[in-house]
Order: sequence, then structure tokens, then C-alpha cells
Amino acid sequence: MLVTFFRTLIIFITLVVVMRLMGKRQIGEMQPFEFIVTLIIADLACIPMADVSIPLIYGVVSILALFILHQLLSLIEMSGGLLKRIISGKPSLVINSDGVDMIELKRNNMGVDDLIESMRALGYYSLDDLSYAIFESNGKLSPLENPNRNGVCKSVPLMIVNEGKINVKNVELMHSDTETVKKFTAKNGNGIKNTEIMTVDGNGRVYIKYKKEKYKILSFPLSEGIKW
Amino acid sequence: MVRSIISMLCVAFILFIGATFETKFVQKQFSEFHSVLEILYEKVDQETATQDDVYAVQKNWLDKKRFLHIFIPHNEIKEVDLWLSESATLVRDKEWNDAISKVEVLKELAEQIPRTFLLTWDNVL
Repeated sequence: MLVTFFRTLIIFITLVVVMRLMGKRQIGEMQPFEFIVTLIIADLACIPMADVSIPLIYGVVSILALFILHQLLSLIEMSGGLLKRIISGKPSLVINSDGVDMIELKRNNMGVDDLIESMRALGYYSLDDLSYAIFESNGKLSPLENPNRNGVCKSVPLMIVNEGKINVKNVELMHSDTETVKKFTAKNGNGIKNTEIMTVDGNGRVYIKYKKEKYKILSFPLSEGIKW
Repeated sequence: MVRSIISMLCVAFILFIGATFETKFVQKQFSEFHSVLEILYEKVDQETATQDDVYAVQKNWLDKKRFLHIFIPHNEIKEVDLWLSESATLVRDKEWNDAISKVEVLKELAEQIPRTFLLTWDNVL
């Protein structure tokens, strides 16, 4: 029993560390340790149930060990402080007054695509729809809407540049070419290499953010009659 | 919060008591079984063992294994069953050299199995 208990403890701690290192994208509305309990408890219950050569007590002991660990970590969570931050992480401010914070996103092993996906789920389609956005420690995005937001977005913005790389497929979708995009970024800032994010919506409205600069809202010259 | 702490401590206490009982119980059962095997080993070594002696050991094992199933992987119990059956046949046929090696294996199993329940690094890792 004690051997099973300590084996469960080691696996649990390993999983908590790994989940914390994986960042917030793997979690999905649970604290890391809650996610781990959910992840392994099903297997712990199933293996002794399906494999008749394993005594049932092995599964029972592992599940009880998980229960103890879960209760212990919940208590630590409630007490707050440094231990809570170590176990569950802290919220990350991924959109601030300067726009998307790429460093903070990367710290959580996320990209702009993941951020946009989470925003879309909340009904926000443009990166400037939010003044602030925080990825909570449970992986959920908490938005603070931009007071200057112009109602509901009428066209879905396309990601044109993501960390200095042009998305050729999306450029073709807006009936333009990479040279025009390069010229556009050079004219309005420091060129494509220094462009962290550039999105263009169907009305030619551009959200562009250069490295270490505040984001800008510009207008992209779309070809005649092109809209999406 | 108080309920969480109490429930956690209760489960930890149950696990601790259970673990202590399990370790002691398994050690005791296998220590007794080992003593019985030791007698059989001497008899086989002196070539005085009969099939009834092996059956007596088998009966002793049957009584123990009913409860050992709770704690020990069933494959390990089956292994002891198989070695005992083979020993019985070899003693009946008076093939002492083979029989003694089988009893030797049984003795080794009776020493090894309870060791897997001890809280050591080898077992945990």
C-alpha cells in the first residue's frame, strides 16, 4: 500500500510539474492539479477493474492517495501565497494597453492564434476589441472590452503577419501579394521582421503591432470590390 | 475547510493503518510459508519426503492464499501454485534433484514476494 501510495505521489508530482511547464493551453477551465486528477483517476479505476490479475486494493489505494493530494493542494490553493503560484500558476496579462504581449503569450506556450481562438469563443473577433485580456491560471480568458469598440465586428480579420512571417494563404485570400504587405509594413513601421502581428479585416482595417511598440490601427488598400 | 482537513486526515490514517496491516500480514504469512517450505526442503534433501508432505504444504498455502489475493498480484500467487504442483509430481516420482530445485524456487518466492511490499527505493522506483 505504501509503495502504491508513493508511486502515485511521484506520478502526480511529475504530472503537476509537466502540466505547469506546458502552460495554460492544455488545461481548459481547471486548475492544473484538478486536470491531472481527472486525467488519471479514470485509468486508476479502470485498470484493476479490467485486469483481474491486479488486486482491487491497488486501484483503491491509488485513488485514495489522489484524494489526499487533491485535498492538500486545494487547501494550499485556498491559503494563497507563493505555494499557490507554484502549484497553479498566476494569471497572465496577454493584452495590455500596448496590444498583444507576445512575451507573456510565449511564456504560456501560446501563440496569437490561440489568443484569437479564445477571443472568438467569447465573441471578440478583432484584437483591438479588448483593452485588456488575462489568461487565468485555469486557462480561461477574461476580457476587458475596449470602450472604443465599434459594436459587433462585421468581418473576420485575417492573420497576415505572425511574428515576422507572412501568411501567404491569407494574403491570397485578400487578393494581395507578399510584396504589397512588405511595402505596407515598411512604410508604416520597421518592416516585416519587426512586425509581431498584422491582421486585416474585410473593410481593410489593419491591426498592426511592431516589436516594443504600441499597436496601431491602419487602413490597407484592398483591391476594388474585395470584401469578406 | 475543516471538513477537507478532517476527511484528508481520516483517509491518510486509514491508508497508514491499512499499509501497516498489509505489510505485517504479508510478512507473517510468507514467513510461516517459508518455514513450512524449509521442512519440506530438508525432507526432499534427505530423500524422505512423500507426496503427502507436499500436499500438506499445498493445503497450508491454500489457506493463506485466500487472503493474500487481497494484496498480492494474482499472477504471483498462481506462480506459487504451479511450482507447488510440479514439486508434488516430482516428489511422487522420486526425482529428488528436480524436486529440490523446485522447492528452492518456492523458498525464493516466499522470500521475494513480501519484499516487494517494503517501502524501499527499489520498490517505489
